[in-house]
Amino acid sequence: MNVAESIWMAVDAVRAQKLRSGLTLLSISIGVFAIIASTSITTSLQEAVSGQMASLGEHSFLIQRTPTLTFGSSWRKYMKRKPISYPQALEFKRLMGLDAIVSISNTNPGFTIKAGNESTDPDVALIGIDDQYFTVNAVSLSDGRTITPHDVDFQRPVAIIGNDVITKLFPSISGSVLGRSITIRNQLFTIIGVLETKGGVLGQSQDNRVLIPMTNFVKYYTWEWDQSVDVSVRAVSRDALMSTVDEAIGIMRALRDVKPWEENTFELDTNEALSSQFSGFSTALLIVAWISGLGALAAAGIGIMNMMLVSVKERTREIGLRKALGARRPWIIRQFLVESITLCQLGGMAGTIAGVGTAWMITMLFRSSGMSDITFAFPWSAILFSVVACTMIGLGFGIYPAFKAATLDPIEALRYE
Amino acid sequence: MAEARIIIDIAHISKVYTMGEEQVHALRDVSLQIRAGEYVALMGPSGSGKSTLMNMLGCLDTPSSGHYSFDGEDVSTMDDDDLAAIRNRDIGFVFQTFNLLPRASALRNVELPLVYAGVGASERERRAEEALENVGLGERMHHRPNELSGGQRQRVAIARALVTNPSIILADEPTGNLDSRTGQEIMTLFGNLWRSGHTVILVTHEEDIARHARRIVRLRDGLVESDTPNTQTP
Ligand SMILES: Nc1ncnc2c1ncn2[C@@H]1O[C@H](COP(=O)(O)OP(=O)(O)OP(=O)(O)O)[C@@H](O)[C@H]1O
Ligand SMILES: [Mg+2]
Repeated sequence: MNVAESIWMAVDAVRAQKLRSGLTLLSISIGVFAIIASTSITTSLQEAVSGQMASLGEHSFLIQRTPTLTFGSSWRKYMKRKPISYPQALEFKRLMGLDAIVSISNTNPGFTIKAGNESTDPDVALIGIDDQYFTVNAVSLSDGRTITPHDVDFQRPVAIIGNDVITKLFPSISGSVLGRSITIRNQLFTIIGVLETKGGVLGQSQDNRVLIPMTNFVKYYTWEWDQSVDVSVRAVSRDALMSTVDEAIGIMRALRDVKPWEENTFELDTNEALSSQFSGFSTALLIVAWISGLGALAAAGIGIMNMMLVSVKERTREIGLRKALGARRPWIIRQFLVESITLCQLGGMAGTIAGVGTAWMITMLFRSSGMSDITFAFPWSAILFSVVACTMIGLGFGIYPAFKAATLDPIEALRYE
Repeated sequence: MAEARIIIDIAHISKVYTMGEEQVHALRDVSLQIRAGEYVALMGPSGSGKSTLMNMLGCLDTPSSGHYSFDGEDVSTMDDDDLAAIRNRDIGFVFQTFNLLPRASALRNVELPLVYAGVGASERERRAEEALENVGLGERMHHRPNELSGGQRQRVAIARALVTNPSIILADEPTGNLDSRTGQEIMTLFGNLWRSGHTVILVTHEEDIARHARRIVRLRDGLVESDTPNTQTP
């Protein structure tokens, strides 16, 4: 029946009792905040890490200047590290020789790709790769050919593109796009291959990218001439992984002049290392945040009940009047339940906004401290959970006050001063 | 002319309140019949049981013993929700203290009984406007109670009582909180309602007010002391 009226009444009650309702709603907000922020942050991290793990093939590992995950203030230390320059990576590859397959690549985000009159948004990831990229990483082609050593050596203007880019640039073409030209910042490239569609890992599409020979990438599309590159290494077999890791560390240390007593000035991440590093952190964060969040929500429930009891008391005459005018018990119960649920949702909404905002800021902090892979994960499921939880709290703790209101004797209630 | 149908028929009802050890006999043995179209005043000294009887008539309360049949239905044994339905459909209340919702406009206040009757929003508004125009408040319907005078508030309350087109209108000291001139205006309004066919029952202890009614029932100590037609005119 008149749900809107009850909702307005709840808003009115909040306005009339700012301090009391403010405090009660605050504890709901805190609970929801903790749950939403922690879930969003850990999901973002999880996606960043699993995105990387997925793109690393089996018995492969990755050498980077900074780790995928950086926590606390240690990123200052990482920022001081010298880049792993392209020449250094080439030297590393030469020294590794035939013991492993090495691929050198690098990614820069935010490119606009053009073809004819069509143009993409400035959000395409441009990746410089070499001939081993498709061997080491878990990526494959659906059409065309890969980059050859000659493409790299002679800086050939060739490109492999993802399906999102094709949809944007060649909306009217149904057949193959091989042989067509695209422009990346005034440089013309010919399409020689198409990536197999991978779909998005929540938010970040794996198909919105263009791959070009590493030499072109370094020459035209890096911010600084010595921008750090990513080195992926694939051991010849699973058994050889550990010895290959040791060898890679030794070569890297030598190339980067690391003294025997110093620690590595680069990061080496295997799938296992990444996942264990991550899961420890994220589980701890989730447990702490959810426990305190649920605790705050339970406390808030008591607060809501108290608030509703006071509200019933203050509005005794009003309840008496409504009953005199013909309100049946279910109507009164519904009115007060809608009110308590609305109160909870108001608190929840504030917590959701704060939680999403904080999670977004923290994600951006991670990103600016070197985790370029991380994208903000909008916590839909946590928000849904909060809405459901707030509804349950409103129902659970509102039912007793509502029942009390509904069973008031109308005469007594009308006489109440 | 055939006599109008009997709306209120109470037979030997009593009401006993228990306060700790003590038992208060608010009504002892009251029998009363009221027909459609009557205009009745309940009078009596303070504590004689007027309000108790009024609450009984309005189906807000049930008797300790005796029978009450409202418009042919036995209501003395009905439960809370059934009584609420009868109040909503057949009874219009006017209170001494107006009892308007302070945060709602006059129009919303008058709509309230229709909300519980399940009437749709636009129909509700139309009928509430009509009721407010009937009590001469067409201009003020968007004002809140605190922006209205006492007399105007009581008119809003009367419009609220009328809006469901009830069988009877019950008013417990409707002029008790008004000065005598405003009181007389309200009584003129009740007179008009009665003339247009409504059944009106009101409680008062002022002879000036009771004189407007066509029948006066006097209570004393929970008993009907006298029940006489009123031939005086106000
Ligand atoms: N809820 C109650 N509990 C106990 N006693 C009550 C209750 N309601 C009324 N009474 C008693 O019943 C008697 C009749 O009360 P009632 O309110 O009907 O009187 P009244 O005629 O309306 O008086 P007044 O003119 O002062 O309004 C009084 O003695 C009163 O104290
Ligand atoms: Mg009284």
